[in-house]
Amino acid sequence: MEDRKHFIDELEKLKMMLLNMAALTQKAFIRANQAYLTRDEALSREIIDGDRAINDIEVQIDNLSLRLLALEQPMARDLRLIIGTTRISSELERIADQAVNIAERTLFLCQHPPLAPIQAMDRLMEVTGNMLDHAIRSFADLDPKKAMSIREMDDAADQWTMEVLQTLIDNMVQNFPAGEKRLINTRRSVQTIIISRCLERVGDHSTNIGEHVAFISTGINVKHQKVL
Amino acid sequence: MKNLPKFSAMNLDFFYGGFRALEDISITINKNQVTALIGPSGCGKSTFLRCLNRMNDLIPGIRVEGTVQLDGEDIYAPSVDVVNLRRRVGMVFQKPNPFPKTIFENVAYGLRVNGVKDKKSLQEQVEKSLHQAALWDEVKDRINNSALGLSGGQQQRLCIARALAVEPDVVLMDEPASALDPIATQKIEDLIHDLKKNFTIIIVTHSMQQAARVSDITAFFYMGKLIETGDTETVFTRPSLQQTEDYITGRFG
Repeated sequence: MEDRKHFIDELEKLKMMLLNMAALTQKAFIRANQAYLTRDEALSREIIDGDRAINDIEVQIDNLSLRLLALEQPMARDLRLIIGTTRISSELERIADQAVNIAERTLFLCQHPPLAPIQAMDRLMEVTGNMLDHAIRSFADLDPKKAMSIREMDDAADQWTMEVLQTLIDNMVQNFPAGEKRLINTRRSVQTIIISRCLERVGDHSTNIGEHVAFISTGINVKHQKVL
Repeated sequence: MKNLPKFSAMNLDFFYGGFRALEDISITINKNQVTALIGPSGCGKSTFLRCLNRMNDLIPGIRVEGTVQLDGEDIYAPSVDVVNLRRRVGMVFQKPNPFPKTIFENVAYGLRVNGVKDKKSLQEQVEKSLHQAALWDEVKDRINNSALGLSGGQQQRLCIARALAVEPDVVLMDEPASALDPIATQKIEDLIHDLKKNFTIIIVTHSMQQAARVSDITAFFYMGKLIETGDTETVFTRPSLQQTEDYITGRFG
């Protein structure tokens, strides 16, 4: 027996809004990585311009959530879905900001000769991309197991971030005699380190999304806890 | 004071003639807590409430099986004095039902029935009860006016004062605010918070928000069975059973 059809439709709408926001965010993230790897200025600008649409959805999600909380007095799983959705949308918004940050660094890097490819950076993009993908899928299926598996990838993300950092430090101290070229090399290395930091943050936000999904589906707050 | 049992029902069955309205109810109700009974119409929550002071005895053809203990004593034992039981376990109903008497006489009524004659004691107890029911300030200047001149919300608090005057241990409330406007409802809810310091309160309510606001423990009844009992916070944020979840999220009922 299904009552409260109007309310349930509104909840479904909220969920669809979040999935839409997640899709746009994931696309921005993948394209930011691609722009960095292919040194694509036009693509970088598209990512920066596209952020507004993601921010707009975040505001819409906040408004709908507030309205449902105020007018429908949601309980139990409905209440958790609404609270969790607003939290997840704020994580997504930050992920999208990281994509913009990567695109901005890429615009700078495009002005200078490329660094030698960094393998650890490819690995870092792969693992954080997987973390984000798991986060979104775990929400779509409200699957707490998948949600909690994201944490396990976080160590790898941290490890590859450190490796990128080490590679670029080595590059900065070893390769160039003092002068203009060394300055440029230091600048592009620092910008690339910032990109690795952005990727690492995307992994952290994805882990948080997983924790929010676990909360929505089980009611247990797993933040800052070791196991579900 | 924490979690001392006041009432405990064990394997309680209740029949209206051939119809089993309650089936195998076992629950412990703690002292100085507010316990809310929720569930759709006909689920047995009011029947259960009325089992706790034997109000159902007034209905012909009923039968009770199992036990209900108040402070460890079986309230259905033949030796139990039902009048005394109902003094210890007071009741407030859905519709305010003041007697067509003065405000004072309404509150003094139970005391007089219990043989209190001393004028000073009567006055003290009436004033104390009206204070406890958060009504004193509103009626102190017209205590000898008819109770029927009070607003609905005031009448209901008067009925609460009347129930409190005989110093019960437990107050049963059967949808005490369902006939009241939001402001009067809020007064009753605030009052319930205050009263649990001195009384054990069991409330039947159709408003889940009200149950969530006023109670410490929530018990969910469905088709004569007690489905789930738990801390109100847990029941309304992560109930353990699907049936409870479906009811409190409005999926049925």
